[in-house]
Amino acid sequence: MKIVVGIKQVPETTNVKINEKTKNIDRRGISGVINQYDRHALEAAFEIKAKTNAEVIVMTMGPDDFVVSLQEALALGADSAVLLSDRAFAGADTLATGYVLSEAIKKIGDVDLVLLGQQSVDADTGQMGPIISEFLDISQVTYASKLDVEEGGLRIKRYLENIEQDITAKLPVLVTVTDQANDPKYVNIVEIAKSFEKEVTTWHASDLNLDADRVGQAGSPSVVRSISSPKEVVKDNYKLPDNPQDAADELVKILKDKNILVEDK
Amino acid sequence: MEFLKENWIFAEVDLNKVNPITYQLITKMNQISELPVTVVLVEGSSESLEEDIKEYGPDKIITIKNDQLVQGNDLEMTNALDTLIEKTGRPNSFVFAATVVGRSLAPRLQARLRTGLTADCLDLHFEDDGTLVQTKPSYGDNIMCEIVVPNHRPQMATVRSNVFEAKKLNNPMTKVINITNLKVVQDKQLTISSKPLPQESAESITEANRIVAIGRGDKTEENLTNAKRLADKLHAVIGVTRPLTDLEEFDINDQIGQSGQSVSPDILINLGISGAVQYTAGISNAKTIVSANTDKDAPIFKHSDYYYVGNAEEFSKALEKALQ
Ligand SMILES: Cc1cc2nc3c(=O)[nH]c(=O)nc-3n(C[C@H](O)[C@H](O)[C@H](O)COP(=O)(O)OP(=O)(O)OC[C@H]3O[C@@H](n4cnc5c(N)ncnc54)[C@H](O)[C@@H]3O)c2cc1C
Ligand SMILES: Nc1ncnc2c1ncn2[C@@H]1O[C@H](COP(=O)(O)O)[C@@H](O)[C@H]1O
Repeated sequence: MKIVVGIKQVPETTNVKINEKTKNIDRRGISGVINQYDRHALEAAFEIKAKTNAEVIVMTMGPDDFVVSLQEALALGADSAVLLSDRAFAGADTLATGYVLSEAIKKIGDVDLVLLGQQSVDADTGQMGPIISEFLDISQVTYASKLDVEEGGLRIKRYLENIEQDITAKLPVLVTVTDQANDPKYVNIVEIAKSFEKEVTTWHASDLNLDADRVGQAGSPSVVRSISSPKEVVKDNYKLPDNPQDAADELVKILKDKNILVEDK
Repeated sequence: MEFLKENWIFAEVDLNKVNPITYQLITKMNQISELPVTVVLVEGSSESLEEDIKEYGPDKIITIKNDQLVQGNDLEMTNALDTLIEKTGRPNSFVFAATVVGRSLAPRLQARLRTGLTADCLDLHFEDDGTLVQTKPSYGDNIMCEIVVPNHRPQMATVRSNVFEAKKLNNPMTKVINITNLKVVQDKQLTISSKPLPQESAESITEANRIVAIGRGDKTEENLTNAKRLADKLHAVIGVTRPLTDLEEFDINDQIGQSGQSVSPDILINLGISGAVQYTAGISNAKTIVSANTDKDAPIFKHSDYYYVGNAEEFSKALEKALQ
């Protein structure tokens, strides 16, 4: 079985602010890490690999410094790594990113399973999975909470808001993985250093069979018009007395006065 | 650019019931849209959910009755919606719920139609020329973006539950159009079997008006018993932070936050919760927030209207007494 895992490098903390001068997101001093959900996608791949001897290829589209995350994925157990990097990819929205990733998966060829995280914690879209499945013309299962290999395919548990689904999927298929699916392992610096023996392959735009109108900014229907800090909901931050009963009595009185606690609700 | 002068909403149906987010979307669209508002409803052949949807007064309901499609295969549904759009023309906009279903289906249709989609919107408005301005949070709700799709139709978006209020509206002009002859090619790759999740509490946290939320600082068995007694007294529902979903009795449906549920109660009481951004991402629509925590610098206090520094269990017991 051949598995491709798509990972994204994201800022270590999502607690970012807007730089008042540049009006852009201030990422100074924030280093990059593998998107948490993608660790679960990787772990899912490694668990399948342990059972079936699958080949695991990890892939990312992004600037050259995303190579750090690919190295870590190699140290964790991926067999090979592909970096998709080109100036032409800059400014891509979800559609244009999904297009490039799907073309790279086509180039790898004979891929049985594509695993992604349920969403990236910076963009927070979760769109990549369905977009790539569509461009590869394969079936999709999003938000998988449990994955098991079975004869001829996968068995997946998935939860909607009010529904539990049990799905059997034949290969090829694309699955996006939630943080309920497994417990990812971590590696130490030494192992990461050792993984430098494994090479990361870089593909530029010219290495793929791309329609120039569909990549980067030109291929992106969505335009970010502005970014801002969320409107702070001003909260009173009223400190209640230290004695618990005094605190509770005062709170109940305030809530009743303000009609927030009406009797018999 | 030729397109159909209508704004569309995809009706989300779970377990033969229209998800309330659909009504919220209709009310919002009726308020902001100059163009006719159309609901696309896919339901089983013996259902008539269009009657429920009518009460919220859209201009039009397109009903597709099909027992295969209600199985919930994203590829089959994408094919069906694509075929429908080929017949009608591309609408000006097409919005979905930011639920698991909406967040899976909408991007697949987006790719099919090669247009733009904004996920997880918190606000929408139209400009005079029909441009849909979509406000979306990113970086775990720390940044807000305004996104537009200037040159492609439909302009697509998924919208979070409970950010808009649903209001019934009497519209005697609502037209219902039945599509019966839509061909559906079955996706043989997937076999999906669905069953309803057990509804532990009568009310789910996403719809609750009052919530008592418990975190790692209030998780012993005794704490839980007390928190439940308080919740009973208040007619509130129990919610939890993620660490508590490790306990047998709680799961993702009880979890508040970025990877759980967004809630919008009138009152939320946080017991022993630190206030990590992933948690507070889910409570920004709570109206009144009360928090108890032993740490005087707990981040949750900044999000609170009223706070108590001290033991959550003592506070919870005292509150129960105060409510006698
Ligand atoms: C990708 C990702 C997604 C996540 N999604 C979510 C999510 O959706 N929801 C979520 O909740 N978390 C989520 N988390 C986890 C989140 O980061 C926090 O770890 C979690 O919210 C902390 O839960 P807590 O406040 O219960 O526990 P803690 O952070 O351990 O806080 C416990 C608090 O209790 C206080 N305390 C201790 N004893 C007492 C006492 N006797 N009385 C009163 N107070 C006491 C402490 O001072 C402390 O503030 C996510 C994390 C990641 C990485
Ligand atoms: N630039 C990228 N390169 C590779 N995989 C990506 C990239 N962006 C997103 N993904 C994958 O798609 C998933 C969903 O991301 P998103 O749609 O951005 O929320 C992530 O969890 C990754 O697995």
